[in-house]
Amino acid sequence: MILTDEQKDALTELINIAFSRTAAALSDLTGHRVILNVPQVAVHPITDLQGVLAEFVGGEIASVHQIFTGPVSGDAILMLNYEGANILVDLLTEEGAGSGRLDVSGQEVLMETGNILLNACLGVFGNLLKVHVSFSVPRLHLEELNAMLDSLVIGKEELRYALVVYTTFQLRDSSVTGYLVIVLGVASLDRLLHAVEEWAQLKT
Amino acid sequence: MARILIIDDSALSRRMMRAILEPAGHEVLEATDGITGLERYFLDKPELVMLDLTMTGMHGLEVLEKLREMDPAARVIVATADIQSSTRTMVAAAGATGMINKPLAAETVLQAVTEALRG
Repeated sequence: MILTDEQKDALTELINIAFSRTAAALSDLTGHRVILNVPQVAVHPITDLQGVLAEFVGGEIASVHQIFTGPVSGDAILMLNYEGANILVDLLTEEGAGSGRLDVSGQEVLMETGNILLNACLGVFGNLLKVHVSFSVPRLHLEELNAMLDSLVIGKEELRYALVVYTTFQLRDSSVTGYLVIVLGVASLDRLLHAVEEWAQLKT
Repeated sequence: MARILIIDDSALSRRMMRAILEPAGHEVLEATDGITGLERYFLDKPELVMLDLTMTGMHGLEVLEKLREMDPAARVIVATADIQSSTRTMVAAAGATGMINKPLAAETVLQAVTEALRG
């Protein structure tokens, strides 16, 4: 499946708005300026995801998943390398967890941070596309990238093809770099593109 | 100054909310899920509830519905990361006194609390 230039342009603009809202939320939480890179939009078979994402993050990662349902459903993921996750928890708690293992308290902080950031992102989708998205309780995964990707299942429908939108962000004055990834199944992708096209027409 | 019950499954969010409310002179109670929140509401009779939506176990909207059944005059501010307009509409229709978004900003929280307690 290939996106047309118009679809890709409208989708990138929508995602840019959504990710900017997410960056603002992260900045509010940490008190640090957040530098957001240009979002990338692409359709990949789910089996290729590991290769795509491994270019940016490797080894053990901390990821917060939030499954969302409604007219458009999928899995939204905040991914951080393990060290970045530790630093982010430190910034939020000032407890100085350092580079050790994330304890239960740190994991909980990370999960709520993911909840806030992913809601900020997906909420923009809901508002602009005029669809209501329901959120599940966030889940934290601490594992290798491929193990995390194996868990990308929405209900009974395994995601074989997916729209992957991702961006990297950096907290200024810290070495936290993270990735926001939204994975949609093909049925939801179809509905999303339809809604995005309507939204883009209204804008122009 | 009021007795305020926070119902939120996130320790971070409860801690942040407490850090805003206590310096303003409010007494803070906590519950980590909807069922416990309903029990504490019944036992402690707080003047205001700060309620999360996406929680393990009972969803916040269901908690709100039960609270309103127990006490039609219950004052509830929903504090959620969900920024959707449709969610705001649903929360208002369910009888919440107000809604604020996370991440929590002290000024916004205190203003919502003042308005809720005044109403």
